[in-house]
Amino acid sequence: MRQEISESQRLRMQNPFIQIFKYIYLSLKILKIVAGGHGGTRKVIANPRP
Amino acid sequence: MSKIVVLGAGIGGHVAAAHLRRKLPKDHEVLVVSPNRNYQWVPSNIWVGIGRMKPKDVFFPLEPVYRKKGIGYKQAKAVSFHPEGDASQNKPYVLVEYVFGEKAGIQEKVTYDFLINATGPKLAFELTEGLKPGTNKAFSVCTYDHAEQASTGLNALVERIKKSNSRAKILIGTGHAKATCQGAAFEYILNVERELVRLGVRDKVEITWISNEYTLGDFGMDGMLLTYGNSTLKSSDMVEMIFRDRGIKWILGAGVFKMEDGKAHYENLEGEYKTEEFDFAMLIPAFSGHGFKAFDKDNKDITEKLFKGFMIVDADYTAKPYEEWTVQDWPETYQNPSYPNIFAPGIAFAPPHAISKPRKSKNGTDIFPSPPRTGMPSGITAKLVADNIIDAIKQGNMTLNHKGSLGNMGAACIASAGYGTTSGSGISMTTYPIVPNYNKYKNTGGRDLKKTFGDIGLAGHWLKLTLHYAFLYKAKMKPFWWLIPE
Repeated sequence: MRQEISESQRLRMQNPFIQIFKYIYLSLKILKIVAGGHGGTRKVIANPRP
Repeated sequence: MSKIVVLGAGIGGHVAAAHLRRKLPKDHEVLVVSPNRNYQWVPSNIWVGIGRMKPKDVFFPLEPVYRKKGIGYKQAKAVSFHPEGDASQNKPYVLVEYVFGEKAGIQEKVTYDFLINATGPKLAFELTEGLKPGTNKAFSVCTYDHAEQASTGLNALVERIKKSNSRAKILIGTGHAKATCQGAAFEYILNVERELVRLGVRDKVEITWISNEYTLGDFGMDGMLLTYGNSTLKSSDMVEMIFRDRGIKWILGAGVFKMEDGKAHYENLEGEYKTEEFDFAMLIPAFSGHGFKAFDKDNKDITEKLFKGFMIVDADYTAKPYEEWTVQDWPETYQNPSYPNIFAPGIAFAPPHAISKPRKSKNGTDIFPSPPRTGMPSGITAKLVADNIIDAIKQGNMTLNHKGSLGNMGAACIASAGYGTTSGSGISMTTYPIVPNYNKYKNTGGRDLKKTFGDIGLAGHWLKLTLHYAFLYKAKMKPFWWLIPE
């Protein structure tokens, strides 16, 4: 089914009050993902992809 | 005492030099060799390209910062690599040539104990006939001066439309069958669209996306399945939703091979040769290695030990079909296997293969995106290389404890979709891992859906703006800069 941005979604996307909370939420979520560490992969047994 | 030479002062080289200097005692020398005078925060070039930022907002001169921090700096370009020295020089060295000032044109042997090659990509405009920034009505946003030129071109078009009330066509995307960096073009097309709305001429302009991607939202990463609100969405559906919402058309599987005045000639996967006309275009060129040569102690050419286009590192370069690719093919330490004191983080290393599925046109032309390696992974890989060198210097042996494969690393892409404090928009996306791990995440396209999500809205614009100021602060090495993660 084709996705579309509805008018109510659009209003939420551009509502500064809602977006302030979104900004805080996204900042923390992104920080957790990107600063959450990284490492190697080669201890994992390499299998060809299915 | 050790001497570490860093080639390049982009995101990778600058991050490596900054961490080395902060963590190593002053009796060790850190030297940056770069042909560029300025550090530029490349992700903000798209805003220069629409005239909402000036070039001075996205760059600063390197030399004063390096002088203040005790980092050596030579404004020179690398010419050749001599990892064993030569008949007259016992130490390994890089032959460099000064590009500015009184020493311009003079060559010098720069010796090292450790070498970090962070020279990034060469913007290979010449691989597409007629593609040169500012000619044939086509532009680039790859550097701040290209972006400024693009802004001038876009303004001229808008003025022309306003004066003549005529219609116009804009074409934005990739300018080569194997180009990468679709993300930058994606940001630019959305920003241009918003600017045309703001300037009141949107209804006069047809905007078209042209790309070597097989589907929208591939971004050189084979696309992704992501969490969007309470649902799961393919990146192709998300980008299609945005393009439809903005009235942007698209052409996919297109390998642009020739540009003429207002015309882009391309071949598609069906093997058809087509032409798209435009009044303004911004096309990302192919990226390539710099064509460096390497020589051993007897001056014998050993380029194949160091380079495969980009620099050879600890990846598995065995040629194999797409179905047999694994994340284990991707490098973890960015160390050259022949010369353990040479590293190539960021964009300078040769990827083992693409990430997107390779596709050929019916004529046999490869048309698919090369793997993207954006600022965040460049910074992370540069930092881990610096940490491994620091450990080697302090402990006296190379332990390589710091590892960071793109198959075990997350990335955030905050794609600007319009500039403005309350009218701006951004598409916030994270991907984990960058290279899909189809074994670990079997049912979710190789990605962890808890860490792979998308969001659209004004907050995304604020986030992108926050990153702009935070990373320029960090790059200037102002107090506590190291607290900001790569």
